[in-house]
Amino acid sequence: MPESWRRFIVGTLLLLAGGTLIGWYYGSATWGLLAASLLALSWHIRQLLAFERALRTGDFEAFRYGDGIWSQIFARVSFFKQRSRKHKTRYRQLLREVRESTNAMPDGGIVLNADFEIVLCNQAAQELLNVQQRRDRGQRIDNMLRDPHFVAYLKSGVPQTGIEIPSPRTSGGWLLCRLVPYGGNQQLLLIRDITERKRMATIRREFVANASHELRSPLTVISGYLDTLAEDPEIPADWRSPVLQMRSQAARMNKIVAELLELSRLEAQLGDRSDQEVDVAALLASAKKAYAYRGDAPQLTVQCETPARIMGNAAEIESVVNNLLANAVRHTAASGTVSLSWRVRADRAELAVTDTGEGIADEHIPRLTERFFRVDSGRSRDDGGIGLGLAIVKHALERHDAELQIQSRLGEGSSFVCKFPLARVLVDAPVDISVRPTPAG
Amino acid sequence: MQPTDLTDHISKRFNKDLEGLRNKVLAMGGLVETQLSDSIEAVVSGDSALGLRVAKDDYKVNKLEVSIDEECGRILATRAPAAGDLRLIVAIIKTITDLERIGDEAEKIGYLASKLAGMDRPADSYRELKNLGDHVLHMLRDAMNAFARLDVEASKLILIEDERVDEEYDAITRQCITFMMEDPHSVKRVMNVTWAARALERIGDHAKNICEYVIYMVEGRDIRHTHNLDKQ
Repeated sequence: MPESWRRFIVGTLLLLAGGTLIGWYYGSATWGLLAASLLALSWHIRQLLAFERALRTGDFEAFRYGDGIWSQIFARVSFFKQRSRKHKTRYRQLLREVRESTNAMPDGGIVLNADFEIVLCNQAAQELLNVQQRRDRGQRIDNMLRDPHFVAYLKSGVPQTGIEIPSPRTSGGWLLCRLVPYGGNQQLLLIRDITERKRMATIRREFVANASHELRSPLTVISGYLDTLAEDPEIPADWRSPVLQMRSQAARMNKIVAELLELSRLEAQLGDRSDQEVDVAALLASAKKAYAYRGDAPQLTVQCETPARIMGNAAEIESVVNNLLANAVRHTAASGTVSLSWRVRADRAELAVTDTGEGIADEHIPRLTERFFRVDSGRSRDDGGIGLGLAIVKHALERHDAELQIQSRLGEGSSFVCKFPLARVLVDAPVDISVRPTPAG
Repeated sequence: MQPTDLTDHISKRFNKDLEGLRNKVLAMGGLVETQLSDSIEAVVSGDSALGLRVAKDDYKVNKLEVSIDEECGRILATRAPAAGDLRLIVAIIKTITDLERIGDEAEKIGYLASKLAGMDRPADSYRELKNLGDHVLHMLRDAMNAFARLDVEASKLILIEDERVDEEYDAITRQCITFMMEDPHSVKRVMNVTWAARALERIGDHAKNICEYVIYMVEGRDIRHTHNLDKQ
């Protein structure tokens, strides 16, 4: 039993016993006990009322008096109260700091619950999307951000990638939205203002396109005159070789300009075009036919395992095949082989160009599709390549939702595989995947 | 009335139905907003393909209208809603009609854009149409926001905004008349500009109607054809 209890019980008993004793002395012990009980009761009632008042006003020290168990209760409650007040202040401060730091974030962040209802949003999000934490709490985010693409993105449930949508606030503005699920079924919607990035990309693209256009007309004049000069029989003999060289270089520049224009065209029309059926088998066959006319070059084999066709742009697919084929042939010795293949797998369709050429070192592979990237910068550029082929391939494939996978080993050869999603592949007749490879052409 | 008031029913299915209906209307609003902004973009950038795509995509708006209409009919028949719920359904039925009309106007602008793309372009590349279009687009967005938030104050502001759209439209019309008088060769092109401006002005009126339905839905009072907002 704690000391305070013992003192309380002993004190009460002593009081009652004292009262009884005095009552007995004066003739009635019962009346003495009653009087003592009343005394004790009124003391406790007084303390109780004081306690209630202290609870009401919150000031326990002012109403604390006497000593004993009541005083201890007062002291304890007062202590708890102070401690909780201190905690509260600390939590409030912590919360304020968290809120201030999220508000300081330049990107918008919105916490959504499982039904896409707004739970919390920071300052940037409020500004970017024109929502208000207080007013729009509980409102579904797709009721505020109504762009059909964004709504489809929310429903698609594939939050790995972000989506770019026009800003609902500023005309010409763009936002990048990304949904990140966390903590059970909460989700965080991150919003970034990419207006400037978009604008820069447009400027860059337009610059390349315009510069190429501007270069084209003077180049036409130069190559025209060079052609005439080269055909001219009266040209001095020691001028012949320089003129021929100039002509071939001018032709090369023409090619670069043409491919740059092709690239900017591919970039500019992203996602806005009409698709048609592309017969890959026929395309490969004609590539083989065109190839057969070339002389001292590696052997070319074509393996078409399926008559499946791709929904896409014929010219672009053809450009993919031609670029990959030209690359493979360029880097393969005449004794090697290059093979084209087309097959449908369980989850995708693959168009592969494989060679037994010199191969590419691992560290260069990620950079291959950059414009004008060269594995060996010291190497002569006279092999006919201009460094834009793979960039064109990459962009053309992006437009078909396909990706390019490059595998290579130095000295053994490389394989470039274009992986098309099955959604783009048309398989009319039930495909018999077990059909024997039939070398076409 | 807060948005959460919609979820205050004994029948959970009914709550879900109403909430779903509201979401669908807002999704339709989003589609119409995109159609409108694309059609304006098509005019300004002279993108004939974009204009034609807007015109082609109008069927999506129509399809949504029909499906929401059916849903409303079903709810009216099976739930017999009263008071606020009834006002919500009535307002939705009217709102989607206006949204569908806005879709039609956007389709018209898309067609006009494809026509204008094939003609001479003025030096300012239709800046005044762009301004009017942005103005109207903002009105439509604000109207849909007010619908989502059931925001009466915002709705009243949009009603006043419509007057400015009308003024802008008048200015464009006057400008177009001047152009036509100065250069009779441009009549064909300027007529198309006038039609586009006219369509934009109509869209402003439809956005205004939507705001009136929001006020009706929340306050239960019909303020159509009463032009004494300031006194109230």
